[in-house]
Amino acid sequence: MAVAEPLAMRTELSDTARLRAWSTTVDHKRIGLLYVGTSLIFLVIGGLEALLIRWQLWAPELRVLGPTQFNQLFTMHGTTMIFFVVMPMLLGFANYLVPLMIGARDMAFPRLNALSYWLYALGGALTHFSFFAGGAPDVGWFAYAPLTEYTFSRGHSTDYWILGLLVSGLGSLFTGINLLTTILALRAPGMNLARMPLFVWMMLVDAILLIFAIPPLTAAQLMLLLDRSLGAHFFDTQAGGSALLWQHLFWFFGHPEVYILALPAFGMISEIVPVFSRKVIFGYESVAAATVTIGVISMGVWAHHMFTVGMSDVLDAIFSGASFLIAVPTGIKMFNWIATLYGGRLRFESPLLFAVGFLAMFVMGGLTGIMLAAVPIDWQVSDSYFVVAHFHYVLFGGSLFAIMAGFFYWFPKASGRRLSERLGRWQFWIMLAGFNLTFGPMHVAGLLGMPRRIYTYSDDRGWTLWNQLATVGALVLGVAFVLFFWNLFVSWRRGAPAGDDPWDAWTLEWATHSPPAPYNFETIPPVHSRRPLWDLKHPQDPDWILPDRAQPEVIA
Amino acid sequence: MNSAAPPPSGPHEESVSLPAPTPWPLLLAAGITLAAAGLVTNWVVSGVGIMLLVVALAGWIRELVSHRGEIEIPWVEPELRAAPIKPAAARVEALRPGMPGHRMRVPEKVHPYSAGVRGGLVGGAAMAATALLYGLISGHGIWYPINLLAAMILTNFADKSTVELEQFSLAALGVGTVIHGLTSLAVGLCYGIILPTLPRWPMLWGGLVGPLLWTGATYGFMGILNPVMNARVEWSWFFVSQFVFGIATGMVVARSEKVPAERPVPRSRVSHERRY
Repeated sequence: MAVAEPLAMRTELSDTARLRAWSTTVDHKRIGLLYVGTSLIFLVIGGLEALLIRWQLWAPELRVLGPTQFNQLFTMHGTTMIFFVVMPMLLGFANYLVPLMIGARDMAFPRLNALSYWLYALGGALTHFSFFAGGAPDVGWFAYAPLTEYTFSRGHSTDYWILGLLVSGLGSLFTGINLLTTILALRAPGMNLARMPLFVWMMLVDAILLIFAIPPLTAAQLMLLLDRSLGAHFFDTQAGGSALLWQHLFWFFGHPEVYILALPAFGMISEIVPVFSRKVIFGYESVAAATVTIGVISMGVWAHHMFTVGMSDVLDAIFSGASFLIAVPTGIKMFNWIATLYGGRLRFESPLLFAVGFLAMFVMGGLTGIMLAAVPIDWQVSDSYFVVAHFHYVLFGGSLFAIMAGFFYWFPKASGRRLSERLGRWQFWIMLAGFNLTFGPMHVAGLLGMPRRIYTYSDDRGWTLWNQLATVGALVLGVAFVLFFWNLFVSWRRGAPAGDDPWDAWTLEWATHSPPAPYNFETIPPVHSRRPLWDLKHPQDPDWILPDRAQPEVIA
Repeated sequence: MNSAAPPPSGPHEESVSLPAPTPWPLLLAAGITLAAAGLVTNWVVSGVGIMLLVVALAGWIRELVSHRGEIEIPWVEPELRAAPIKPAAARVEALRPGMPGHRMRVPEKVHPYSAGVRGGLVGGAAMAATALLYGLISGHGIWYPINLLAAMILTNFADKSTVELEQFSLAALGVGTVIHGLTSLAVGLCYGIILPTLPRWPMLWGGLVGPLLWTGATYGFMGILNPVMNARVEWSWFFVSQFVFGIATGMVVARSEKVPAERPVPRSRVSHERRY
C-alpha cells in the first residue's frame, strides 16, 4: 500500500515563523510535543547527573565529587526525573492523545493548556538556574525539615528548589483540571464512560489525583518559603514547629505522585498489549475499576514513607495495611494484561517488547514494595539502597519502560514516520540488561547496609562489587539512551512513512491523518463500542452486536 | 472553553473554528516565573515579572472579551486527509465452545443470591440455638453467649465478672443480635456465591471445610476482635456451632434451584445498541 509523505514534513516555514508558531501555539498536539521534547532535554540532564553519581560511587574513597556536589547531584537527579522528566512526559502523551482518543478537537481549555506547559518549562529552567546562581539544591528531592530551614541551608539553593517546583506545580495543577474537564465534557457522541479507551480512564483518575495531590505540596512549599524568608516557624523545631508536618504534607503529595506517574503508564500498556495481541483487553471493567480503586487507596498510604519516625503502632498498622491493599488492584491489572497476552497472536515489535519489559520490571518493583509495606522490614532497610532499587524498578522499570513502549507505538501518529524497528530492538535489550545491572545490585547493597545518599564508602564494607556492577549498568543504560535519541532524530527526518494506522489499531487517534491536521478530525467515526475502528474494519463482526453469540478472540 | 467534539459523519462546511495562537500564556508564565525568581535574585526582577503578569493577564482577557481569540481553519486538501477506513479483507472467526483456545466461563449455573441470604438466616438461627444450648448445659444461662458476643463492641464488658456476664442486658441483646445477624447474612451470601464454584460435594465444603477455616481464622483473630470471648470461649462448642451453621446454610443453598450464570441481555438493550 502506498503511504503518503507525512503532512508535517511538507510545511516550509522560516525559522522565525516556526519559533513564533511553536511559542504561541494552543494546539494540544504541539503542546504535547513541547512537553515531550522539553522532558527529553531534562532527561539528558538527569541522566548525566546519574552517571556522575555512579562515577563517584565506582570505588571506595573516590574523590571525583565532593560531598556538597554529590548532595546537589542526587537532589537534582531526583527532582529532575520526577518533576521535569517522567511526570511532564506522561502529561505530554496525555495532551497529545486524550483529545484524539475521545474524538475532540482540542483540550477543553487550550490557552490554559499552553500556560501549563510554559509554567512547567520555566519552572524547570528556574530550578536548574540554581546551578549558575551559587549552587544547586542539596537537601534531597523530598527536602526534609528541619534540614531545609535557613539555619541548616544557607544561601538560596533551597529557595530555587521551592520556587521552581511551585511554578511548575501550578502548571501540573492546571493540566489536571484541563484533562478532567476535557474527558468529562468533550467526548465524541456515543463514547460514554464505559467506552472510553483505557488510557483515557487512567488519565481521568490521574487528573483527579493531580488536583488532590499538588495543593498540599504547594501549601507546604509556601510554608517553607515563609519559614525561610519571613521567619515563620512551621517546620522550625527549635521554635516549636514540626518537622513531621513537612513529612505528612510532602508525602500526602508524594505517594499519590507515584501513581500519577504510574497510571498513565498503565494506560499505555492497556492500549498497546491488546493491539499487539490481536485481542480485546481482558476484563476492561476490572481494569477501569482497579484504576479508580488505586486512585482512592493511593490517597491513604502516604505515611508508609514514615514508619521510621516513630508513629504509633495503630498508625503503622493502618498505613501498612492500606499499602498491602493497594497491591490488590495493581495485581488485578497485571493479571488482566497477562490474560490479554495469553492465547493472543503476539506481534513482538518494539512497543510490545517494551510493554512486556514493563510487566516484568514493574512486578519486581511491586514485590519489593510489598516488602517495604511491612513495618519491620521497612525499619531494617529504610533509607538504604534497597529503597533506591525499589523505586527505580517502579519508576524506571515501570513508567519509563511503558513510556518507551508509548514512543514506539505513537511516534508514527505524531510524526507520520516509524521509528527504526532494528534500533528499537537493540535499545530494548540493551536497556533491559543495563537497567537490571544498575538497579538489581542495589538491592544487595541495601541489604548489606549501604545507606542512600552517602558520597563515598570505605572498602571494608563489602559494597564495592555491587556499586561497580551498578556503575557498569549505568553506562550500558547510557548506550541504550544514545540509541533512543539517535533513533528519534533519524526517524523524525528520514523514517519510513507510517500511514494513518500502522498497527491496525482500534482507537480513534488512528482514524486521523499522521500527523493529524490542526482540527484533528474532518468527521468523527461513529462510536458504538470500545473499539470504534474495529467496528468499521469488521462490519460483519462489530463489537457492539454481540450479546447473543461468542466473543471473537482470534483473527483468521 | 473549547468547542465541543466534532460532529459525527455527515455534510459539513469545510472549515473549523479553533482558538487562535496567542503569546499571552507564554508571557503570563514568564511573568509568574520572574516574579518568583525575584525573591532569590533582585526585587527588580519580581517587579518586572509582576508587570508582565498584569499585562499578559489583561491581554488574555481582552482577547477573550473581544472574541478575537478564534480563527477559522480550512480543512486540509483532500489528499492530506485521513484515508477512509476500509473493511478488512480477513474475516473473524469467533471462538465457540469446544474450539481450541475457547475459554469456558465456569460455573455455568449458580445459586441465586436469595438462596445465600436464606441460608444465612437459617444457619444463623441454628447456630444461635446451639449457642443457647451451650449456655443451658454449661450452667451459665442463655444470656452468657449473647453477652460474650456483644463484648466485641461493648468494651465495658471487659471489666465484668462471669456472674455479671450471665445476667440479661438489653444492650448486649441488641448488639449481639445485630452482629450475629449481619455476620450470618454475609457468610450465607458467600456460601451462595462460592459453593457452586467448588467441585462435587457441596455439603463437605459448606458443612466441614468452611466451618474449619472460619474457626481457624476466628481462633487467630479472637484475641484482637473480642478479648472477653477469647478468655472465656469453649472452643469445642464454638466449633460445633460453626459446624451446625455450615450444615444448615449449606443445605439451604444446595437445595435451591440454580440459575444460568450469564444472564441474557434484555432485548430492549440489544435494539438500543443496534440503532447506531
